[in-house]
Amino acid sequence: MNAFWHKLRFFMGDAWEELRHSPGVNLLAVGTLIAVLFGIGLVALVLSNVETFVSELRNDMRIELYLEDDVSEDRREALRRELSSIEGVTHVEHIDKQQALTRYQDWAGEMALLVDALENNPLPESLEVFLSPGLVAETVGSRIYVEFSNKEGVEQVRFDRELLGRIEALLNMARVGGGGLGLLILGAVIFVMASVLRLAVYARRDEIEIMLLVGATPSFVRGPFLVAGVAQGLISSFTALGLVEAARRAALGYSGGGSVALFDLLLAHALSGRFVFALIAVGLTVSCTAAWFAVRHSQGLRKIAG
Amino acid sequence: MIRLFNVSKRYNDVVAVSGVTLEIAKGEFVFLTGPSGAGKTTLLRLMLRQELPSTGQILVNGRNVGALPAAKIPALRRSIGVVFQDFKLIQRKTALDNVAYVLNVAGVPRSQQRKQAYEALRSVGLNHKLSTYPSALSGGEQQRVAIARAVVNQPALLLADEPTGNLDPDLAVEIMRLFREINARGTTVLVATHDRDLIERMQRRTVILERGQVIAGGEPA
Repeated sequence: MNAFWHKLRFFMGDAWEELRHSPGVNLLAVGTLIAVLFGIGLVALVLSNVETFVSELRNDMRIELYLEDDVSEDRREALRRELSSIEGVTHVEHIDKQQALTRYQDWAGEMALLVDALENNPLPESLEVFLSPGLVAETVGSRIYVEFSNKEGVEQVRFDRELLGRIEALLNMARVGGGGLGLLILGAVIFVMASVLRLAVYARRDEIEIMLLVGATPSFVRGPFLVAGVAQGLISSFTALGLVEAARRAALGYSGGGSVALFDLLLAHALSGRFVFALIAVGLTVSCTAAWFAVRHSQGLRKIAG
Repeated sequence: MIRLFNVSKRYNDVVAVSGVTLEIAKGEFVFLTGPSGAGKTTLLRLMLRQELPSTGQILVNGRNVGALPAAKIPALRRSIGVVFQDFKLIQRKTALDNVAYVLNVAGVPRSQQRKQAYEALRSVGLNHKLSTYPSALSGGEQQRVAIARAVVNQPALLLADEPTGNLDPDLAVEIMRLFREINARGTTVLVATHDRDLIERMQRRTVILERGQVIAGGEPA
C-alpha cells in the first residue's frame, strides 16, 4: 500500500511537471475536450429538463372535461358522480369560470391582459379528473375520453396522454440518436486528443528513453501521463459544467426571467446530479483513454522498453 | 559478471558485431576499445538489452539477457549503472532529482532517496550543485551527475560508453579517477572508449574490437 501511495505521489508531481512542461499541447487537448463536453452538456441539459417535464406530467395524470356554458348544476353533479365511481379515478374537482380565469392569469402573466380586455370571461367551467399514476391511467383516461366526449353537457374532453406519448417517443429517439452521435463524436475526440497528447509524449522522447535506460518500468513512465490525463479530464469536465450552467442562466436572463415558455421547459432546472456525474465520467474516460493511447502507441517507448 | 558466447548482431546486411566471445570477471576494470564502427556501442546496447543479439548468448550477472522477458528488463537495467557520452540527464530535473530518479524507480522511500542522492553527488564533488539544472552545469559537471546517477543504487556493474568523449583531457582524467574509485569499492567497470592515451595511462585490461570482432583481450588476465 505504501508503495502505491509513493508511486501515486510521484506520478502526481511528475504529471504537474508534464502539464507545465508542455502548456500549449495540454491547453489544446483540454480546450478540445471542454468544447465537446460543453456541447454534450447543453444537449444533456435539454434532455434532462424534458425528462423532468415528462415525469411531472406522468405523475400528474388528469383529464379535463370542459362543460357547456348552459350546463345545469344537477347535470354537472351527475357527471361528477359518474366519473368518481370509475375505478382508477382518485378524485374529481370542479373548476368554475372564475377559477379558470385566475389560473389562466397566473400562467399567462402579461399576456393575460388580452383576456382581461374582454367584457365576459370566455373560459369554460370544467371538471378535472385525477387518475392514479401508472400504466392503468392511460387505459382509464382513454375510456373516459371515449365515453364522455359525446355526453350531454360536455363540450370537450382533453386528455394529454397522446401528447405525452409523442414527447416520450421523441425523447427516446433523442436518447438513442444522441447516444449514437455522441459515441461517434467522443471517438473522434479521443483520436484528436490522443494525437495531440502523442505530441507531448514525442516532445519528451529523450527523457522517456533515459527513464527506461535507468530501469523505469513502462508503467512507471506512462503513469504521469495517465495522471495528467485524469487532471485534464477533471479540469475539462468541471469547466464545461460551469459553462453549461452559465449559458443556462444567461439564456434564462435573456428571455426575461422565464416569460418564454419554451425556455422554461428546456432550461428551467440545472443539470441533475445524474447528468453531472455522467459528464464528469465521460470527460475522465475520454481523457484517460486518449492519454493511454498516446503513451501506449509511442513507437520510441515500445522499442526502448524491449 | 559478464559472459558473451559467440555473439553476433546484424542490422539487415550490416554486421555490427560478429562472433564475439568475452568474459569479464566480477570486480574487474576493463576497457573496450577500437575504431569508430568497431561495435563497442553495440556490445553495450546488447548488454543493456536495448538490442537483441542475432545469434549467441549474453550473460550479465547470471541473467541470460537475450532470453529475458520484457517484464524483467527494468530489473536488469536497475542492476547496471550506465554512463553515456552525451550524459543523458533529464533537463527539467535538478541534479539531485536526476540522481534520485533511479532510487524513485527502485521504490526507495523519498526521505532516503534525497539522502542517498546527496551522498552520491557528494562523492563526485557536486554537493554544492544539488538544485542546479543540467543546462546550468558544465560538461564535466554533467558527466559527474551522470556518474552519481549510475552508482547511486550501488550497482554490481557499471557500463560507460565514451564517457569522456565530450570532455577535455583534464576532465577525462578526473572522470577516470572517479571510475577507479568506484571500481575500488567492488563494482565491475566496463568503459568503451577510443581514447588510447587514457587507456595507456590507466593500465587496465583492454579488449580490442575491430570490424565487430574481438582481436585482443577477450579472456580475463
